[in-house]
Amino acid sequence: MRRNLFLLVLVLAAGCASTQPRAGHFTRPTNLFPADGLLVQRALFTARGRQFALNGYLALSETGGKRLIVTENFGNVMADLLVKPDGKVFVLRSSRMFPERYIRRLMAADVECIFGGMPKLDCPVTMLDTNHFVLDRGGYKLDLRIVETKTGAQPASMFDENSGLKK
Amino acid sequence: MKISAPIFGLMFAFSALAATNEVTLSPVANPQPVLSDLQHKMASVKTVYLEFTQERVLKLFSDPLKSEGVMLIARPDKIRWETTAPYQSILLGDQKTVAQFEFNDGKWEKLKLGFPQLLQRVMQQMSLMNQGKLDALMVDYKISVATGTMTVLTMVPKDENVRGMMSSLEVHLLPDLSATREVVMNEPNGDLTRITFRNEKRDAEFPARTFDQGKPLDIAAIQAAVKNAP
Repeated sequence: MRRNLFLLVLVLAAGCASTQPRAGHFTRPTNLFPADGLLVQRALFTARGRQFALNGYLALSETGGKRLIVTENFGNVMADLLVKPDGKVFVLRSSRMFPERYIRRLMAADVECIFGGMPKLDCPVTMLDTNHFVLDRGGYKLDLRIVETKTGAQPASMFDENSGLKK
Repeated sequence: MKISAPIFGLMFAFSALAATNEVTLSPVANPQPVLSDLQHKMASVKTVYLEFTQERVLKLFSDPLKSEGVMLIARPDKIRWETTAPYQSILLGDQKTVAQFEFNDGKWEKLKLGFPQLLQRVMQQMSLMNQGKLDALMVDYKISVATGTMTVLTMVPKDENVRGMMSSLEVHLLPDLSATREVVMNEPNGDLTRITFRNEKRDAEFPARTFDQGKPLDIAAIQAAVKNAP
């Protein structure tokens, strides 16, 4: 099983590295998400024709940044990522499925694409509904739905890069 | 990922069991009689229907992250784990195959699963546990028992790598072992997952297509069918 997981990671990494990013320009309506709050997400991650159902918990802070925790079906943490307001990225937890390099280089960019304040050219995102986004980078695709939105400031520790379990 | 199989297997194994208040417990010197009794009780149950609340307690979050769902089991090896809120997802398995469905745009979509072997392993483990083969657990876990107003089985993984992800698993049962009230998976950093069971129905007759991996029956129809079961 470990070998299979490792192979998948290699395939994903190779696929991502060899795939030309699809040019895209995504302009998100303003005030779609709270400046401070928590977005609970359900996502389908597709790579090489295989699908993985994931849960995402994204804490937003106007001053603290964005903290994303990704879990699989039964709660195991697959990725823990903090993107500071200045764009600095901290990977607080990684996994065999999502190694640190993947999280730092790709997942952080995807978070900024969908939830970032500034639209970027390399954001192949389609907004199907105000709570439904599809990001297609060719090498992989993310179909993401926001299933719950909690407004209000999240704990400051959430946006402290020293508060997570570094792996 | 590796941890999922034993964790879920254990949840399955003790599914015939569901929130408990703080209780005073006394450790049992020899857990074997309790385990044998539990094994005997589990072996006689043909089907189980349970509703659950799953709480993911992460220290970072001020409130637990909750989801709701239903779990159905039919001997010898069929299981349906369905999340009903805040999203809808069905996981179906037996000893040979697994399937997962997600509810999107008003219809169910069957996933082309990645790592089906992993889920397959989960299902095999679940099947094993459902048959009451607790002895198998002793290979991978050190099991201790405490009794009082509840019976609590605490299982500590023997494998250091597994302990790095899950420090212990607690199963909270009624004192007579007739029902599980709660399963708690503790992580080394203090985070935990708590699954609280309710509305248990035993030996209910499940309708056709309850475990159909091509087109599973809607949960509302199943709930209507088991509504009057004891």
